[in-house]
Amino acid sequence: MEYIITYHCENSYKNPVSGAHWQFLVIPLEDDTQKIESINFENSLLEKGEYSINGFGFKTLRFKTSKTFSKVTFTVQLKLWKENINPFNFTPETDPTGSFDILDRLDFKTNHQTFLKSSKLTTLVNQEKFSYTFSKDLSIFQNLQNLNNFLFEHLTFETNQTAVNTTLEEVITKQKGVCQDFAHLFCAMGRENGVPTRYVSGYLHQGNGYFRDSQMHAWVESFIPTIGWIGFDPCNGILAATDYIKVAHGRDYNDCPPIKGVLFTSGENVTSYKVQVESAQQ
Amino acid sequence: MGKIQNQIFSSYQRDPVLYDEIFNNKGEIKDIYSRLFELYGGHTIKEYVHLNDKAKSSFFNQGITFQVYGEKESTEKIFPFDLFPRIIDPKEWEIIERGAIQRSKALNLFLWDIYHDQKIIKQGVVPLDLISSSANYLDQMIGLDPPGKIYNHISGTDIIKHNDGNYYVLEDNIRCPSGVSYVICNRTALKRALFGVFNHYKTHTVTNYAENLLDLLETVKPNGIDIPNVVVLTPGMYNSAFYEHSYLAKTMGVELVEGRDLFVENDFVYMKTTRGPERVDVIYRRVDDAFIDPLEFRADSALGVPGLFAAYKKGNVTLANAPGTGVADDKAIYTYMPDIIKYYLDEEPILNNVHTYHCSKPDELKYVLEHINELVIKPVDEAGGYGISIGNRLTKEQIEKVKAEVKAEPRKYVAQPIMSLSVHPTYIDDTESFEQRHVDLRTFTILGKDKEFVLKGGLTRVALKRGNLIVNSSQGGGSKDTWVLKE
Repeated sequence: MEYIITYHCENSYKNPVSGAHWQFLVIPLEDDTQKIESINFENSLLEKGEYSINGFGFKTLRFKTSKTFSKVTFTVQLKLWKENINPFNFTPETDPTGSFDILDRLDFKTNHQTFLKSSKLTTLVNQEKFSYTFSKDLSIFQNLQNLNNFLFEHLTFETNQTAVNTTLEEVITKQKGVCQDFAHLFCAMGRENGVPTRYVSGYLHQGNGYFRDSQMHAWVESFIPTIGWIGFDPCNGILAATDYIKVAHGRDYNDCPPIKGVLFTSGENVTSYKVQVESAQQ
Repeated sequence: MGKIQNQIFSSYQRDPVLYDEIFNNKGEIKDIYSRLFELYGGHTIKEYVHLNDKAKSSFFNQGITFQVYGEKESTEKIFPFDLFPRIIDPKEWEIIERGAIQRSKALNLFLWDIYHDQKIIKQGVVPLDLISSSANYLDQMIGLDPPGKIYNHISGTDIIKHNDGNYYVLEDNIRCPSGVSYVICNRTALKRALFGVFNHYKTHTVTNYAENLLDLLETVKPNGIDIPNVVVLTPGMYNSAFYEHSYLAKTMGVELVEGRDLFVENDFVYMKTTRGPERVDVIYRRVDDAFIDPLEFRADSALGVPGLFAAYKKGNVTLANAPGTGVADDKAIYTYMPDIIKYYLDEEPILNNVHTYHCSKPDELKYVLEHINELVIKPVDEAGGYGISIGNRLTKEQIEKVKAEVKAEPRKYVAQPIMSLSVHPTYIDDTESFEQRHVDLRTFTILGKDKEFVLKGGLTRVALKRGNLIVNSSQGGGSKDTWVLKE
C-alpha cells in the first residue's frame, strides 16, 4: 500500500519572535514494513532543514532561524510504502503460564525496565475505582485484547476534555479523552500487569477525503514473550494494522511530541495542525 | 579536658572523646604537626588576628566570593578561611588516593553496565528498583558509548576520619562536583599570609589541577579529532559556583561559554566567535542534565544548547561528566559501593563505606531494632536530610515510634552507625582563640582514557559552629588549606 502523508502546522505569536529552534518528530520510521519513497518539506521562513536522531533513536527534522516573525508555517509531505499487515500473523502463545513466568524473571524485567516503569503521564491512581487485572488462565495476548476492549468500552472519545499533559487521575475521573489518554491508560495498565508497553505516535489512515484539523494518532505496543511487540489501538478497540503508520515510541507522550520549539519571545501563541493521510492506490 | 602550653594554643580545650587531627589521645602534639605548632606558637594571638585579616582581604581582592541562595539581601560572602592548615601524612594519603581512584573506576564501570548489559542487576547484586525508580537514570543513555568509555570524568569524594582513626567515604559526588577552586585559592592565600611556613614542609602543589584536567579531557576527545577544542559551559554569572567556572576556564586556557554562545548544526557543536563559528569538541559542562538541551530534556531551559544531546549521541562532542551519571551518586547506590567495587574490580574496597544495615533483610532488621540508640535511621528514598532519626538523640517515645515505622515498612529504611567526624584546631573569630571543630575532606579525582589523576590536596571543610557536624558552606562552614606531604 502506498500513502501520501501531509503534516501541516501553523503557529501565530502575539509578540514578534526574534529567533527559534524547532524539532519535528513526524517522519515515519523505516523498517521491513514501512519505507519512505519521497519526502519534501517547506517552511514560510525559507530556512534550511536538517535531519537528526533524537535520544530515543528516532529521526527528527530540525529548523532554526534568527529572523524576526510573528507567524510561521511548516509542511512536510511524504510518500510512503507500507506492507499489508495481518495483525494476527504470529505464532500464538502455547503456554500462558510459561509466558507469565517469563514476565516475572529478573532479566526480563531488567531488559524491559524502560517500558515497565511508570512515567509522569502513565502513573496510575484511584486504582480502587478503575483497574484491570490480567487472568493467568488466558494468554497474555488475550489479556491485552481484553484490556483493549475494556478501555474502548469504558472510556468515551471526546475532544477538548483533556490536553497532552493531562494526568491519568483526571482521565479516570472524567472517563473521557482522546487517543493519547486511551494510550496512556493502556500503557499504565499493561505495565501494572508486568507487560512492557510503550506509547506509539504516528498516523492513522481513516479513509480518503478525510482532511480536518487533526493531531497525529496515538496507540500502544506491548511486548509478549515468545512473540514480540504487538500494536493495540484502545481508542478504536482494534489491533494496529496496515493503516497505522508509526513514527516513534516512548514511555509516554512527552517522549514523542510531534513538535518541540525553543523560542525567543514572550506572550501567547496559537498553533493549529492539519494532518492528512491518503492512500495512493484505490 | 587537657590544657596545652603554647602561646596561641594556651586556651585550647581538648575533648579527649573526639579524634583530634593534631593531638594524640594523651594530648601530645603529633610528629607531623610539631614544626608547624612551634612556628604558629611563636606568634601572639594579636599577630595571628592581623594575619587572618590579611588572608581574608586576599579573598575579597581576588573576588572569590559566593552567594547564599534564599537570603533576603543577596550579599557576596567569602568562604571563611582558616590560616592553620591541615596536614595529611604521605602514607595516609596514599590510601586515600588509591581508594578514590578505585571508587571512581568502579562507578564508571557500574555506569557503563547499567546503560548497557545491566549484568549487575540481572545477577541480583544491585536491585532493579534503584535504577528504575531513579529520576537521574536517563533512558536516552541506554546503549550509548561515551567517548573513551568515561562517564564520571570528575568525581568529588567526601571523606571523613572517624574517632577510630580510619577514613570513611560519606558521599561520591559525580554530577558537577565543585570546590576545587577553593583548594587552589586557599593555598594562594596561605602563601601570601605566611610564606615562611612552607619552607619547613615538603608539600605537594595543588596548582597543577587545571593542566591535568585539560590533559585528561583531551584524552576523551571525539573520534577523528587531533587537538580538541575544549570549553567550559557555565549556567552563568548568577550561579553560586560561577567564580570556579571562570577560574577553571582561565587556568586551562580555554573559553568560558554559556548555552547561548554555542549552537548545533548538522549534529556538530560550534561556538560563536568574532572570527565566525569555531567547532567545539569537548565540553566541561557545569549545567545539570535536565538543562543541557531543551529539545531533548527540559523544554523551558534557557541554559542549554538546542540539539546538543543529538550531537553527543552521534559521537561528535564529548560531555564531561556524561549525562545520566547522577544515577550512581544516589544515597541508595552508595550503600552498595562495597559490592560494586568487588563486582567490577574483584578487589576489596580500599576506603571504608559507612556500614549500612538494610532493614529489608530480617537479621539486619533485628540488629537495627536492638541497637537503635547507636544508629542513624534513614529512609532510602528521601534526599536532603529529611526523615533521618539519630538514635542517641531520641526520647523513649520517639524510639518506639521509629521502631514501629521501621517494622511496618522495613524495605523503606536503612541504618548506619553514628559517625563522629574528626576535629581540627580552628581559629574562631568570636572568641579570638583556637577551638576544636569538625572537619571533612573532599578529594578531586579525574578519569581520562587509560589515565587518571587525583589532586594531592583537597578541600578540608570546617563546621564553624561548635559541635556542628554540617560542613557545607551554605550552612556556615569554612575551609582550610590541606597539605599532602611528600615522602
